[in-house]
Amino acid sequence: MSPGPAAGANDDVPSRIRSYIESRLPGARALELADMQQIAVGWSHETWLFDARWSAAGEQHAQGFCLRRDPGNALLRHLSDLGDQFRVLQCLEATTLPTPKPFWYEADPAVLGAPFIVMEKVPGSCPNPWGREGRHYYQAAADRGALPDSFTDALTTLHTLDWKAAGLEFLGVPTAGSTEFALGEVRKWRALIDASGHAPEPVLTDLICWLESNAPKTERLTLVHGAYRTGNLLIEDDRISAVLDWELQVIGDPMYDVAYVLSDLNREGSDLLSNLVPREAFYRRYEAATGFEIDEQACGYYALLYAMRSAAFWMSASGLYAEGRSNDVRLARTAWSVPVVLERAARDLGY
Amino acid sequence: MTPSDLLERLAVTFKTEVGPAIEAGYPRTQAFLSAVVLQKLAMQLRLQAEHQALEVRERQSLQQDLEQLLIDTGAPPPVQEAFSSLQVDGDAGLCRFIEALYASRDTLGPDAFEALLGRVRRTLRASLDRRMAFAS
Repeated sequence: MSPGPAAGANDDVPSRIRSYIESRLPGARALELADMQQIAVGWSHETWLFDARWSAAGEQHAQGFCLRRDPGNALLRHLSDLGDQFRVLQCLEATTLPTPKPFWYEADPAVLGAPFIVMEKVPGSCPNPWGREGRHYYQAAADRGALPDSFTDALTTLHTLDWKAAGLEFLGVPTAGSTEFALGEVRKWRALIDASGHAPEPVLTDLICWLESNAPKTERLTLVHGAYRTGNLLIEDDRISAVLDWELQVIGDPMYDVAYVLSDLNREGSDLLSNLVPREAFYRRYEAATGFEIDEQACGYYALLYAMRSAAFWMSASGLYAEGRSNDVRLARTAWSVPVVLERAARDLGY
Repeated sequence: MTPSDLLERLAVTFKTEVGPAIEAGYPRTQAFLSAVVLQKLAMQLRLQAEHQALEVRERQSLQQDLEQLLIDTGAPPPVQEAFSSLQVDGDAGLCRFIEALYASRDTLGPDAFEALLGRVRRTLRASLDRRMAFAS
């Protein structure tokens, strides 16, 4: 049984991080690491932030770093590889999409106990949209007006960037004009459900069969983030300073991201999309910037695919706790999220 | 004190005694979430006998209705075979029956497909409503 992400096995990580950074900065002298903290973000990786100062060739240098480590029992582990995340960030570095600059990927588990990536610590904050404080933050930002526009602009940049020129074809390219993309996503999330060891769920079977029978053809292929919402975006001065969480990106239908933005799964009790953006303003700005008309029918399909994804996610999460592979009670709690998300899907399917 | 009462009582202790006494953020959150989990378990346990009885009754009713519908619609062999497993395999059998319906959709035709799936969904809806009593 491997320890959970917060099971207390991280005591010597700061000193090992220091040794690693030293090894990566040949010629650096008087290296100092300050303000090292492990932050509680996301459910899939462990994250440390720290600031480094050193001298080299007679000059002083300073750089903020963010280190993400695969804890070995992460949610979505089978779907998200740190090496791929690093490569995606490298590909995006030359584009206008705001993303953290990637520095190093270390696959050798001997260094920190598990593979990890080191990237730039981008200035900004990432308020949790599920908490009361976060909801107030986004509501206030919505009232000021600049951040909702920046939210939409970052998505339009993502959907219009030249992914071939950026070198992102390694993600896999579905055939345009076919149902390959949608069916591939269904297959991917079905594999996670199968791996979760969860008891059979007839409502979920109905949902999956429906998704397989009604997959839309993807006419236009773009880079798709896969989880574009507040909480996965870094914000500074009412603008998106970095798009984070490059774990589920694919080349596929941009409506997949749009459906996620439109989803009421991401705006508990708020009329604002992702707790931030007025619906009409999003439509207007997105369509004007991309030239894509938002396809309501495709978005309706992808909304149901997100219900399946959510069920898969919660099954996987509660399975990790049930199997003793994590001690995080948050994961145990998600066992009761499965019927909630299936109930919503059943309503959308008409029952 | 029943087991569900005990779990409820434990939830209150975690919420009002254990959680507030912990200063560190992570274990504090874990204590409060433990209270939530215990509360849900308590509710689920309290409703278990009633829900199980209803579940059994509705599955029997579903099987009777489907049996007749299969005759009325002249369902193809794969659907008939999946219906046999429905009678012995519980949820796993029901999943196989749903998959068989979708796989035989063209053969069944839209009316038969809707009639059979609609009947299954009526049972699934009732089951979901019961689960929502402790899940939401």
